[in-house]
Amino acid sequence: MQTISRIGVAALLLVALAAPRGVRSAGSLAGDFQVRSAFVVVDHGVLQLSAHVEYPINDRIRSALRDGVTLAFDLDVTISRHRRLWVDATVLEMTLRRELTLHAVTGRYVLRDEAGVEQESFPTLEAALDQLGRIEDLPILVESQLRGEAPWQIAVRAGVRRGRMPDALRALVFWTDDWHRTTDWYTWMLTP
Amino acid sequence: MDADSIRRYGVRILTAAAFTAGILALLLLARSVENSAQFSRWQPWILLVNILGAIALMVLLARKFWQLYRDYRDHVPGSRLAMRTVLMFGALVIAPLVIVYLFSLDFINRGIDSWFRVEIKQGLNDAVVLSRSALDLRLREQARRTEIFARALRDLQGPELLQRLEEERRATEARQITVYDAYGRASAVSSATPLLQQPAPSPPEVTLQLAAGRSYVSLNSLANGQYSIETAAPIADSVAAHAGRRYVLIHYEVPQELSALAEGVQRTSSQYGDLSAVREPLKISFRLTLTLVVLLTLLAAIYGAIYSAQRLTRPVQDLIAGTRAVGKGELGTRLPLSSRDEMGLLVHSFNDMTKRLRRASEEAMRSRQAVERERERLAIILSRLSTGVIVTDRELTLHVANQSAGNILGGSFDAAVGQHLTQLPRGSARFATFIAELRSRLSSGTDEWREQLKLPGEAGERVLLWACTRLPDEREQGRVVIVFDDITALLAAQRDAAWGEVARRLAHEIKNPLTPIQLSAERLRRKLLGGMNAEDAQLLERATHTIVAQVDAMKQMVNAFSEYARAPDMKLQHFNLNQLVTEVAELYRVQDPSTEIRLDLDGGLPEIEADRGRVRQILANLITNGIEALAGVAGGCVEISTLQQRAEGAASAVICVRDNGPGFRKEMLGRLFDPYVSGKPRGTGLGLAIVKRIVEEHGGRVEAENRPEGGASILVFLPVSDQDRALLAGGERRMEMRRERA
Repeated sequence: MQTISRIGVAALLLVALAAPRGVRSAGSLAGDFQVRSAFVVVDHGVLQLSAHVEYPINDRIRSALRDGVTLAFDLDVTISRHRRLWVDATVLEMTLRRELTLHAVTGRYVLRDEAGVEQESFPTLEAALDQLGRIEDLPILVESQLRGEAPWQIAVRAGVRRGRMPDALRALVFWTDDWHRTTDWYTWMLTP
Repeated sequence: MDADSIRRYGVRILTAAAFTAGILALLLLARSVENSAQFSRWQPWILLVNILGAIALMVLLARKFWQLYRDYRDHVPGSRLAMRTVLMFGALVIAPLVIVYLFSLDFINRGIDSWFRVEIKQGLNDAVVLSRSALDLRLREQARRTEIFARALRDLQGPELLQRLEEERRATEARQITVYDAYGRASAVSSATPLLQQPAPSPPEVTLQLAAGRSYVSLNSLANGQYSIETAAPIADSVAAHAGRRYVLIHYEVPQELSALAEGVQRTSSQYGDLSAVREPLKISFRLTLTLVVLLTLLAAIYGAIYSAQRLTRPVQDLIAGTRAVGKGELGTRLPLSSRDEMGLLVHSFNDMTKRLRRASEEAMRSRQAVERERERLAIILSRLSTGVIVTDRELTLHVANQSAGNILGGSFDAAVGQHLTQLPRGSARFATFIAELRSRLSSGTDEWREQLKLPGEAGERVLLWACTRLPDEREQGRVVIVFDDITALLAAQRDAAWGEVARRLAHEIKNPLTPIQLSAERLRRKLLGGMNAEDAQLLERATHTIVAQVDAMKQMVNAFSEYARAPDMKLQHFNLNQLVTEVAELYRVQDPSTEIRLDLDGGLPEIEADRGRVRQILANLITNGIEALAGVAGGCVEISTLQQRAEGAASAVICVRDNGPGFRKEMLGRLFDPYVSGKPRGTGLGLAIVKRIVEEHGGRVEAENRPEGGASILVFLPVSDQDRALLAGGERRMEMRRERA
């Protein structure tokens, strides 16, 4: 039954995607949005990522949060190895996802991981976004997992979108949703 | 590979591509639904696949429409039915689709709007406010208690402070009570749970609040759904160094029931907020999705309609093509039996019909061939028939004529079938007379007769025995068949036979008494002449002389008859005809020098095999006739010529005797060779009859005609050898048979 409903949703998406995608501007998420810096250190054989991301902040975001909307913040990290006559080999592909909501009862901005295990609250949006933008010593890979010959390319990209939406529905409104924005890839080469 | 095969393969590939693209897109989307990140990655491919599928579908539809239009324009059988079916199906599909579409649009708008009704929003807000109010009461109470407790901690240090903290924590069931010094370091802690590490530094906002002279109170939510209250108040120490610098921070736990209720309100509010954020995009997406679904359904329905119409009309087209093929005579046409429904029954009936038609046609063909064979046989019989046969109608349009008809009438019916008999070229006088007589008979309404018909001709009158009868076939109503034969020779033969009998009887009955008469007359003269006076003696002498002379004359006549009637007893021998002609001619030159006799003899004429004496008689009779015909004619001349002729494989020697006299009288031409027919006052009329008889005894023939420049001409055809005689006799036998049939 689940498979049937999934295929049904897929059929709807199929016809929805037959139409051209709408103009996806950064209107709702306007503001500076970039990966300012990122680097990886190897500590005891573990690659740890530190990055500084500047997230946009505007009245629409505040208003949306006040209306109960959840914002999802993704940090995509990939490590790949260049191959001459073939597509690049992907060594690592991971996403750090966190969610930000305005707690209607407490009036505080609550930042939690995707699983909802860890949670922090902040009295202001700025404080919450500042915390979001500071990634420190995030373990991403064990050094021994770096296969193949150096160098490896590390790419970091941040994204913001309106969260707490079923994937199917997200796919359905994908072409009209302007609450989705990503930064350019911030890349650098990793050598032993 | 021809163009049709390429086109067929192209359509199949296109259809397969569209189908594969659809399936592939569905699979990709089904997988991407599980993971939005995958969706983002695969979205370009999904789009590409969809676009390709849509293009393939569009191309197929366009092709189908073009086929329909082209067939309709070219008036292809069944195209109008197909077009009507497509339009009908299209109309049937479009009307309900549009209704459903409009209704669904309204339903979507109303349905989605109903999710976000003002009452719900207001209710949620009220729930939030209510939760907050309930917690605010507790916040204020805890804050006031904290302030009171902070005053109680004035100047307490060391164990006293710890004891007080412990007592307070137990009394209020606080989770943790911490006293921070002026540097923000925890100087005393009382916790419900054992501390594993140093208490965390005080939050910056606590310091900021207290520095501003305000008490601090905060409500926090935890990851496990619990709520906690943090309150802080400055400790008013009397020691100047500590005054206003120490503060106490107390963590209270909100009761679980209240936390659960507040968390439920929060969660609902958050979900509502997330959903309401996508309200408009959701509506647009649903509208567009619905539009696309309707559009695709419409296209698929039209495609299905075209496909169904073509499937429906294909048997009809086959039937039309089959009917046309049958119309062209292809009776072996069979249609493929594609279904077992009514259309299949129709196709089966058609096949059964063509099968019966083919059998009937084969039967008719066999009958036609039999009729044709009979016709050919009849034509052969007619062509070989010596009797003339003509089939005509009352308007004298010729339908059938055999060769003998032309031969007998002296004309030709070649390529004359279908023409009017009166418009045919008139070859001879007897042809014209025959047609005129026929026309007269038919126009008078007579169509049944059998009688003789005399026709004039240059070589004498011809007698036909002709019979007419009406054809019984209804289709040939008004047609008559005329059968006729030339019985001139037959009649002549009958006459010859009759005259031969007469001559034989005359010779027998008259010749016998003539000798006694002559002897008696001579005896009378001898007995009586001596006893008579001169006058009587002279009278007796004259009388007996007359009797004897007349008896002699009668004897000659009887001899002639006897000669005519005698049985053929020829003594055939080879001799030179030219030599015989020269001899006979020389005799007559001596006898009658007043008549010139010219000879024009063919030096190449071979010796002929005949009865020399009878040929001599022929020559004598003909020359005598010629000389007698020239009596009183100045410059009379008899010209005798010989030549050789070959006809029907047989060689004949031709003797031609011509004179420049008055020629034969016209009324005599048909009877020249009959006995007792003579143009001379004193002729016996047996000369030419004897000639004809001798010639026929030799197997030859004789012809007489008047020369155009004046004078008579008689041609005698004698076979050169016995072999030639046999050949001519074969022809003669055929003539005899014809006579017998006639």
